[in-house]
Amino acid sequence: MTECMEKTSEKVLTKGNYAIANAAVKAGCECYFGYPITPQSEIGEFMSGKMQELKRAYVSAESELAAINMVLGACSTGAKAMTSSSSCAVALMQEALSYAAADELPVVLVSVMRGGPGLGNIYPSQGDYNQSTIGGGDGDYKLIVLAPSTVQECADLTYKAFYLAHKYKNPTILLADGLLGQMMEPVEFKKYPYPEVDNSDWALTGAKGRRARVIRSYAPKAENQCEFLKRLHAKYDLIAQNETDWEEINTEDADIILVSFGSPARNAKSAMRKAREMGIKVGVLRPITLFPFPSKRISELANTAKKFISVEVNMGQMIRDVKLAVNGRAQVELLNRPVGTPPSVEEIVEKLKKESGIV
Amino acid sequence: MENNFIIAGFGGQGVLLAGEVLANSFMLDGNNVTWYPSYGAEMRGGTVNCEIVMNDTEDVSSVNKSETDYILTLNQASFVRFLPKVKKGGCIIANSTLVEEKRPRDDIKYIFVPMTELANELGNTKMTNILSLGVLVKACGLTSLETVTQALDKVLPPHRKNLLPMNIKALNIGYAYDFSLVRA
Repeated sequence: MTECMEKTSEKVLTKGNYAIANAAVKAGCECYFGYPITPQSEIGEFMSGKMQELKRAYVSAESELAAINMVLGACSTGAKAMTSSSSCAVALMQEALSYAAADELPVVLVSVMRGGPGLGNIYPSQGDYNQSTIGGGDGDYKLIVLAPSTVQECADLTYKAFYLAHKYKNPTILLADGLLGQMMEPVEFKKYPYPEVDNSDWALTGAKGRRARVIRSYAPKAENQCEFLKRLHAKYDLIAQNETDWEEINTEDADIILVSFGSPARNAKSAMRKAREMGIKVGVLRPITLFPFPSKRISELANTAKKFISVEVNMGQMIRDVKLAVNGRAQVELLNRPVGTPPSVEEIVEKLKKESGIV
Repeated sequence: MENNFIIAGFGGQGVLLAGEVLANSFMLDGNNVTWYPSYGAEMRGGTVNCEIVMNDTEDVSSVNKSETDYILTLNQASFVRFLPKVKKGGCIIANSTLVEEKRPRDDIKYIFVPMTELANELGNTKMTNILSLGVLVKACGLTSLETVTQALDKVLPPHRKNLLPMNIKALNIGYAYDFSLVRA
């Protein structure tokens, strides 16, 4: 399979996890540190062979805590480095993510969600929307969060994760779920489409011939920390302005808009097509970046749409961001499955029929 | 046009591999295809299944479907479990070596083929999965024997290529098996 995936012009049928791993390699990832956990173990498996073959760094870390801190270390030298993990183990990494945000390090974390809280189970889930977009580390920080919905996007958004992490010197999460990780679809591995980001003005590369540099998240003086946070948040504003991404279908005349990210968005789209055939005016908005969230666009759509339905595989997490964007100008409802497979197309269509008075 | 398939059986019977070969065939034919496994604490001897969605119109297929066009079951437990999931007018294909020939629903088609027996005759019981794929391909008519053969070659890893001739034989036996579509 590894031979096959070298080719760029040909589609290969592969799992989301392998697509992410192969795309990371093609994006120029120089260091992978990881600790296995279902449902993303294929990423580490693929990297363990490929990285060594390419004479790049692969370390099977002693814990997730160690893995993410190794990524911080590698990133401080300007290297393209990553780790991958899942829910309960990404929870262990929260402290390091806060540090990486403060240190402004281009950390790439692939988070393939499974059921939680606690050890939970290994079934697909979107229970870590909050963990990714709000975070569990200390302080006012933001991570860039990208959410693929197909295996092709698993590859494409992995490229983008590396680019955005380095462009903005900000930790970036590729947020997939167990279903996408295990799913196989045809993928075309294009050439890495982004420019290489110059990091020569900050990377720790040895101080030969220049003044020594320090990367730290510690600002002992209050006024320094105020300045730092303002600058950090000006960066987040810039990211929101430049990088907010979403897919939108049939929203112009829609009375109802289904908002859904990741794998359930696939069923939302199919349900939308079926409901349209019945004459129901429904559209789909699929956030591709979860931070920055397409709040502005949802806010605009709240001027014309009567109702937003957030379709999620959790107990309702993204719905909070939808509500904040709508700000009381339209109804917002949840259609969810707590964990496992997404709400079925039929279930969504039934809901739409009920909302439109078609019984 | 969208068609979906479930392949189910014991863990170890090779249902995921059979599904992967089928999915590759659809891809080689230029269709959009999605394959996903039942994913739990599966193990050898337990039940396992995968679903394949083939689509020649939409670029993204939905998942977690409530009805299925074609279901291939390699053991009794899968037959019982998935019989209610067959779409009206759809088709269930069963390995009659391990599945009792019963037709409880009258709104679907049944195909019973003694797949494990035929694989044993070929000399390797492990060929049941690819032999059954031959039956499925013939029954659905949505891809060709040539494409599936090509897909087999693509899916078998280099260190298993020595098994390719026998797999192709199994595929052909399944494809050539004279089953009669019975509407009970």
